[in-house]
Amino acid sequence: MSGEAKAVRKGNGWRLSLDAWAVLVAFLAALLVRFGIFKHVPW
Amino acid sequence: MSDVITVPQVRPVQPALRFLRVVPGVILLAAIGYAGKLLEQNVGAYAKAHHWTFPNIEYVLWAIVLGLVISNTVGVPEIFRTGVATYEFWLKAGIVLLGSRFLLGDILKLGGISLVLVAVEITGSIAFMTFLGRLFRLKPKLTSLLAVGSAVCGVSAIIATKGAIEADDEDSSFSIAAILALGALALFTFPLIGHVLHLSDRAYGLWAGLAVDNTAEATAAGALYSDAASKLAVLVKSTRNAMIGFVVLAYAIYWASRGQAQSVGNKAAFLWQKFPKFVLGFLLISVLATYHFFNKEQVGALANLSRWAFLLTFAGVGLRTNFREMRKQGLRPFAVGAIGEVVIAVFTLGLVAGAGKLFGW
Repeated sequence: MSGEAKAVRKGNGWRLSLDAWAVLVAFLAALLVRFGIFKHVPW
Repeated sequence: MSDVITVPQVRPVQPALRFLRVVPGVILLAAIGYAGKLLEQNVGAYAKAHHWTFPNIEYVLWAIVLGLVISNTVGVPEIFRTGVATYEFWLKAGIVLLGSRFLLGDILKLGGISLVLVAVEITGSIAFMTFLGRLFRLKPKLTSLLAVGSAVCGVSAIIATKGAIEADDEDSSFSIAAILALGALALFTFPLIGHVLHLSDRAYGLWAGLAVDNTAEATAAGALYSDAASKLAVLVKSTRNAMIGFVVLAYAIYWASRGQAQSVGNKAAFLWQKFPKFVLGFLLISVLATYHFFNKEQVGALANLSRWAFLLTFAGVGLRTNFREMRKQGLRPFAVGAIGEVVIAVFTLGLVAGAGKLFGW
């Protein structure tokens, strides 16, 4: 058999953009506030 | 025996390790931001107690100045850099959360007005920057990058356009440095001009959102004026950001037609790829707030969360601004950017004044 290189391509996986992460984290925080896990956020 | 040659693979960084790398920088952002908040509270009180005349300096300015001092004196050590770079993440999360303070009706009304102003601003800015680039004999792709950076949304637009028109790394570094330096100047000059001209919160917010290039700087320039101005600046700036895909697509088609960039296949997919998703998050949260998914206290809590996210952003704006690095990039692109920004600032101020007269603000 020839010595041809056979690169095993590994799946890139599912990567989220920075924007999408920011939206997800903001919504998670909003849900935590909505369902009373974070009752009061001081400033 | 197998003939298959195994290609050595680079071991990917473990997600936990990636997370740990971010921690020191995020702690630094939080520490600087919180120090800014403490300084706002204490310096004013101290001056008052000692009967000194001292202007009330907001936490926004303190956080930016502290970051600037660190970045331009001792510098940001390597260990903090990955975490400091997350300031854009906090900015976008903060904008999404800020959506809870807008009712959908307000967004449609203000968004409609700002959409018209943004369209005029983008067209005028691109035309003027292109003229200026030719006048100063800048490279055509460098001119395109500077035009997109000052017309749409600063660094993100430059990076998106660089890939689409296959511009040089050097051109994009020039443009990014010029836009960042001018953004830093805008932070200090816009609130001053706004006060000198006695602009209302609405007029100033519209102006900052239309004329300041980077989203972080536009948010900070708004917050330095007032809370109401900040809200409007973010809304208008987000409208500008939403246009990024269309502008980048137009440039990609232009450069492809000249045989200097790859042609765009699926235009809808291109637009979706470039569209800033946080704008959708902002709209969705405001829809939820409009239909009373959150009660009044919860809206207050979300607004405070948004403020904390912005606090980290403002610290990051200061920390990533290094004047020495910017000076290295040369004077001509900066001069073109500076002249362009001054003209765009005056032009957008005229637009805002015109809109004010038209709508009776």
